[in-house]
Amino acid sequence: MHNVTAALALLSLAGCATVAPERRAILADPVMQFDADGRHEATLQHAIENREGSMGGTGVQGGGCGCN
Amino acid sequence: MRVQLRPVGALVAAALGATGLAAAGPARAQQVVTLDTSQTVFYEAPTKTHMMVYTPSADAQASPWSWLDVRGGWEADVVSGASVATKAGAAYGATHGADVVSTASVHDFRNVGHGEVELKGATTSLTGGYSYGTENDYRSQSLHVSARTDAYQHNTQFELAYARNFDQVCDRVQDTALANQPTLWTALENSTGCFSSDPTRTRHDLGVDTYEASWAQSWTPVVQTQLTYTAQLLDGFQSDPYRSVIIGEGVKAQEHVPGERAREALTARLAYYLRAIKGAVRLSLRAYHDTWAIDSGTAELEVEKSVGESVRLMLRGRLYRQTGAIFWSDDYASGAPPLGPKGQYFTGDRELSPFWSYLGGLRGVWTVIPSARRLVGLFTGFKLVASASMQGFSYDEYTLAGVPIQNAWAYVATVSAEVGF
Repeated sequence: MHNVTAALALLSLAGCATVAPERRAILADPVMQFDADGRHEATLQHAIENREGSMGGTGVQGGGCGCN
Repeated sequence: MRVQLRPVGALVAAALGATGLAAAGPARAQQVVTLDTSQTVFYEAPTKTHMMVYTPSADAQASPWSWLDVRGGWEADVVSGASVATKAGAAYGATHGADVVSTASVHDFRNVGHGEVELKGATTSLTGGYSYGTENDYRSQSLHVSARTDAYQHNTQFELAYARNFDQVCDRVQDTALANQPTLWTALENSTGCFSSDPTRTRHDLGVDTYEASWAQSWTPVVQTQLTYTAQLLDGFQSDPYRSVIIGEGVKAQEHVPGERAREALTARLAYYLRAIKGAVRLSLRAYHDTWAIDSGTAELEVEKSVGESVRLMLRGRLYRQTGAIFWSDDYASGAPPLGPKGQYFTGDRELSPFWSYLGGLRGVWTVIPSARRLVGLFTGFKLVASASMQGFSYDEYTLAGVPIQNAWAYVATVSAEVGF
């Protein structure tokens, strides 16, 4: 219950933190994007996840194993 | 053999209307079709094994109307090398010699085709897609859907995603008298006859449900964050059917792991723009836990800088640590703890053992977006990306009959190109 309350409190802060559209130029720069080159990065993530026991945080699409 | 999630950062970016080309230039000609191709080479050669994987891919996106994107593509893995076929540990190797560990040649060809449709509104989007993958010994079908919405003047984004995999793994038919005795099962010797009427082959189902919720937030003109929670439920065959494990004096059996696994991960990412270098620092932290008792932590730091109008350069460092699965042992046949039997399951999978990994890499991006005329009268934009990474592994306990893994370095290089019409 405390976790849910904390999450809701954090989410409510989001509304207080708006950046005006005219001040978003840097935020729109590709260097500020987490996935600006995501398609390119996909194969590296594929290789990494094949050799580690973990997953998550990068999307949910399936597509076979390829993990010999 | 285990299921592998496919990251779709690029598709998510596309879902934002922000493919690399689209994001790069404010003044561009109307872009209706985007073509993308990439070539990746992966290589590693630790003790006794080696693996080379060549991965070509091609993707296309059409945007006939502002509210609709249609995407499709193909990817392949051409695999050749050698992997561990029979795993034994230190204590057994001390009395029987390192030769009890055997390797086998691996040659495979994975093909994956995928398609996706996205409906876009002013602040929301809905995406649905399907992919089908084949290998000599594996079949995969996957459906995925996602919904995304923006709030607070696009400063906040929420996304929910779900994927369902219907996979099948080839295996050899075991003697019916041994149906409940996995310690007497024999490993699959090769993929010949898989997914045919061959009476010596069978197939096991593997269902995978993956759920993801993501919240991205712009906090200031130079700071944004993303929080992502991923959960995954696997139900079915998750062993490597080719791998045998020495589990007793002169006794080897096909690897046997639980049929159920629940996994979850929480990832927090931060991007901070540094005006002094005209670049950004991106930090990513991930905590992971699953019901096989693997816990892991990942820290990744990227520094990316713009050079002129069209070039970006990035350096990356990554550190990863995981504990071993509760049933993992380097030697099930003998030895004092941490060696010895670990219940009813046994595996030779080094990815289920405790280890560190560390990665360093760099990437360069060259983007050309003409402000008025098309490039060579045809393209609305062009993007070239090249990257190289090397990843090292340090295994706490994993050995090949007592021989520690040396030269555990993996090298990955990718070149991709994207053009818009």
